This record gives sequence, structure tokens and C-alpha cells, in this order.
Amino acid sequence: MNVGLEHYLVVSALLFALGLLGVITRRNLLVLYMSLELMLNSANLALVSFSRFNDNLNGQVMVFFIITVAAAEVAVGLALIVALYRKRQTAHVEDLTSMKL
Amino acid sequence: MNVSYLELLKLAAPETIVVLTALAALVVDLTSTRDLEARFRFIINGMIACAGCVAAIVWMLVMPAHANALEGMFVVDPLTQVVKIALLGLTLFTVLISMDSTFTEHIGEYLALILLAAVGMMFLVSAEDILMIFISLELTSLSLYILAAFNKRDVNSAEAALKYFLFGGMAAAFTLFGLSLLYGLSGATNLGQIAAALEDKGLDPLLIVAMVMIVLGFGFKVAAVPFHLWAPDAYQGAPTPSAAFIASGSKVASFFIFAKVMMIGFTGGETNGVHEIAGSAAWQQFVSGWTPVVAVVAVLSMLLGNLVAIVQSSVKRLIAYSAIAHAGYMLIGVMAHSGEAVASLVYYAVTYGLTTIGAFGVVAVVEARSKDDQLASFAGLSRRAPVVSLCMMIFMLSLAGIPPLAGFFGKFYVFAAALKTGAPNLGLLWLVILAIAMSAVSFYYYLQVLKQIYVADMPAGAEELRVPVLGQVVLGLIAVGVILLGCAPNLLVGVLQASIKAAGL
Repeated sequence: MNVGLEHYLVVSALLFALGLLGVITRRNLLVLYMSLELMLNSANLALVSFSRFNDNLNGQVMVFFIITVAAAEVAVGLALIVALYRKRQTAHVEDLTSMKL
Repeated sequence: MNVSYLELLKLAAPETIVVLTALAALVVDLTSTRDLEARFRFIINGMIACAGCVAAIVWMLVMPAHANALEGMFVVDPLTQVVKIALLGLTLFTVLISMDSTFTEHIGEYLALILLAAVGMMFLVSAEDILMIFISLELTSLSLYILAAFNKRDVNSAEAALKYFLFGGMAAAFTLFGLSLLYGLSGATNLGQIAAALEDKGLDPLLIVAMVMIVLGFGFKVAAVPFHLWAPDAYQGAPTPSAAFIASGSKVASFFIFAKVMMIGFTGGETNGVHEIAGSAAWQQFVSGWTPVVAVVAVLSMLLGNLVAIVQSSVKRLIAYSAIAHAGYMLIGVMAHSGEAVASLVYYAVTYGLTTIGAFGVVAVVEARSKDDQLASFAGLSRRAPVVSLCMMIFMLSLAGIPPLAGFFGKFYVFAAALKTGAPNLGLLWLVILAIAMSAVSFYYYLQVLKQIYVADMPAGAEELRVPVLGQVVLGLIAVGVILLGCAPNLLVGVLQASIKAAGL
């Protein structure tokens, strides 16, 4: 079977949907972060395959930057979890309810 | 692609100056001022930060540049320079209103993060390449997440930052996926080249997905409904100066890049006077494209923002919902997508940012003494702190859009630009009418704040609020700026129109 652009795109769309589903349904902050990463990486997959089929390297270069940014994002996110945990002893989204109308 | 690094450094000198200032504030605070009293530390390092911002502004005023480095990675023209100067001005005021605060001992880090967020915004304004847009968006957002969490003694601060982070991360993923589809469709990362590649393709289904995802990502940044859920919590829980910066600087930069991406990247070929990809949101002549999508978001933002603001009892939350409503008005400017509309949008965003920083400055003053930001804490403020109350009156009336304040002219200009775009049959009139009706609603809650300040009785046993001189001077300066820009809008509008012409938008 010949693997074409559309196959890569379908996989990447599936990964994105899976990540989004995780962000919406999961309740643990760490799992939420993993799902966020999955969403970013699905975009990476799309970029790499587009880069291959468009015959230029711009997409591949972008992926390098995005991987770095994603790492920075997780670092900030984990720091926020630690800050929350120190005050609240929890890492679950149901407990983020101290501010409401 | 040959680049002289010296040339590039010269072009990016303002950003470089701000980065160096951020590092300087960090080092000075860690080495020399560590043992001083917190107030002095804030003043010394704050002055360093302000000096850096002023130096960068002066550099841009003295050395006007017009260049496009690395195929749109870094574009410097008169328009981006005006917006950058405005951003640095907002940063300056944010630093000044935070000097009185006591929420953190990590003063060097706090100021450095504000400056780094400002650098992110400046790069964002200059970007015409999807890679640079994404990276500078992330630099800004990551700094702002940490700024929102900066009050480590307060549970709400961490919670606000986490909500901001989760929504922000999701929005970033959506933007990125949209941008990657855009790259796939056009084979280019530069906005101009993308537009050229999309010119004759019309509305591809994949393009529609990309468009909606990008609108969603930017909609989050500007806090428009239905991507607004983070805003009230983030504004309420974050330390007040951080919230002021999130509400002002980040909004100006995001609106500017939103308009730029839509105008440069998503126009498409023209048929019957309507751009194919932009479409049209004119009454009874809808053409599918991105403008109808943005129109829906704008309508929802204006309705929800104004109506929910009415029932708020926390002033910071009230400002947050009003910010959502203002995002709705500004989206009308994005939709109009003409040179005139960009001028009006930048004018609106800058004056709105200035006013909001002022309003948050007053909230910070009250909060420092009464420990919360409930409407009741403002009762009788006019007798306890007359100068601050007068400033708050100016800010609230400007946000409500009363002439001769800046808020009035901003609305007027955006609406006029929208009507001109829809001419000759005034297609966008329905949106303008809705916006004006909703601004009438907004009077109610702005006046509610003023009623507490001027009419309500002082709580028993309340004494005069002692506001530091510096704080009063800063708030007074912002208030004078709001009045001045409202009475003589041409000060800013003239510059904007000239620079838009020069930039060729």
C-alpha cells in the first residue's frame, strides 16, 4: 500500500482529537498535561508530513522550535501544579473551585 | 538567504534593550538590593525596568526603521514601531502601579517576567511568519501564566494561573494545528506567500478547518466568548498588577496580530467586491468566510460580557466581564479589515489598555487596605481618597464611552470604520447598532461602581486611605492621558494613519 499525505493527516487528526478528548474528560492535572502535549505533537506530525510532501524544510524547522516550546510549557505547568499542591494538597480539576460567581 | 547579524541586531535593538533590562533587574535584585526593605527594592528595580522601557522607546523614536528581515520573520515598519511604543508605555505603567504592592518577595523575577512578556509582545507585533507568531505568542503566554501565579501566599492566585494555563495550552494547540494546516495548504510559512498561494483556491474544506482553529486560538488570547472562561477567574485570582498587564498589553498585541493574520493571510481573490476567503457578514448578504465566524464571536462577546458583568460583586471580575464585552467591540474592527479599521482597532486597544491599567491601579490601592476587591469595599471612597476616586471616575466613564474621554472616540472610530467598509449599503450597521445598545447596558455596571464610590456611605470607623504619592501621581498621569487622547485623538490617530500608509496595509 502506498502511504500518502492523507494517511498522515488522518493519524494526526486522530491524535489531536484524542488529546482534546483527554483534556475535556480527564480530571487529573498531570493527565491533562499529557493530553495537551499530545495535541501539540499531533500538529508536529502534520507539519513534518506536509514538509515532506511540500518538498521544503520549513515545516521540519518549525517542529524543532515547537518541541522546545512544548518542553518550556510543561516546565511552567508543573511549577503551577506544585504551587497549587502546596496550598491545596490536590492535583485534581474538581478542586479548582474557590472562585465562582 | 544572507543575513548580516549586525543589521539584525540593529533592527531588534529595542527588544534587545528590554531583554538586557530584564536581566539587569534580575541581577541587581539578586546581588545588591537583596537585604533592603521590600519597598526600596521594588522602587530601585522598578526604576531600572522603567529606564529600560524608556530607552527602548527613545531608540525607536530616534532611529525609525523600515525593513523586512528573513522573509517576514521580523518586520519593522512605522506601524509596528508605533504599536511597540504603545506596548512599552503600557509595560511602564504596569511596573509603576506594581511598585506599591507587597504580594511577593521575588521582586527581580517579577519585573524580569513582565519585561520578558513585553519582549514576546513586541516580537509578536513584528512577526509575519507563522513560526515567529507561534513562538512569540508562547513567550508572552508562558510569562503571563507565571505572573498570574505570582502571589504564592494566595490560593486563588495558583488556581487562576492553572485555569489560564489549561485554557491557554489548549488554545495554543488549536492555533498550532490551524497554522500547520495553513502551511500544508500553501507550502509557505510567510503570511504574504500564504495569501498568494491561497489566492485562486477559494474556500477549501481544509482551509475552513484551519481558519476556525486560528480564530479559536486568537479568540482565547483576546478573551472573546466562547473562549472567555479563563478571563474572570484569572483576573480575579491573579495579583492585580499582573491582571492589569494581562488585560492591557497582551490584548493590544493579540488584537494587532489577529488583524494582521486575517488581513494579510486570509483575503483570497475578489469576486463581486467580496474577498473569497474573508467572506462577508453584511446583513442579509452573508458570504461564507472568516468574517461571519468573527461576527458570531463578536455578538456573543458583547451580549454575554455586558449582561454577566451586571451581576458581579467583585470589581476585578466586573472589569473582566467588561473586558470580554470590549473584545466584542474590537472584533468589529477586525472584521472591517481595512487600513482605516486597523488604525481604529489599534487606537481602541491602546486607549482601552491604558484605561484598564488605571482601573486596576485603583483596585490595587483599595485592595491593599481592605484586603478584598468587593464592591462594598469601595463604599464612600470619594471621602477617603478623593484623588484616586476622581481617577476611577475618569476610567469608568471612559470605559463606558462618555465623550470627551478616550473610550468614546475609540468606539466612535471603530464603528465609523466598520460602516465605511460595509458602504454603500451599510452592511455592518446591524452589528454597530447592537454594539451601541450593549454599551448602553454597560453604563449600568460602570455607574454601579461610581455609585459605591460617590454616593454610598462610608463604612463605620473607616478612616482616610493613605495612598503613596507615587501611586497618586501615576494614576493621575494615566487619567490625564485618557482625557488627552479623548480630547485630541489626532495625537494618536494621525500617527497611526500615516504609519499605516507607510506600511502599505
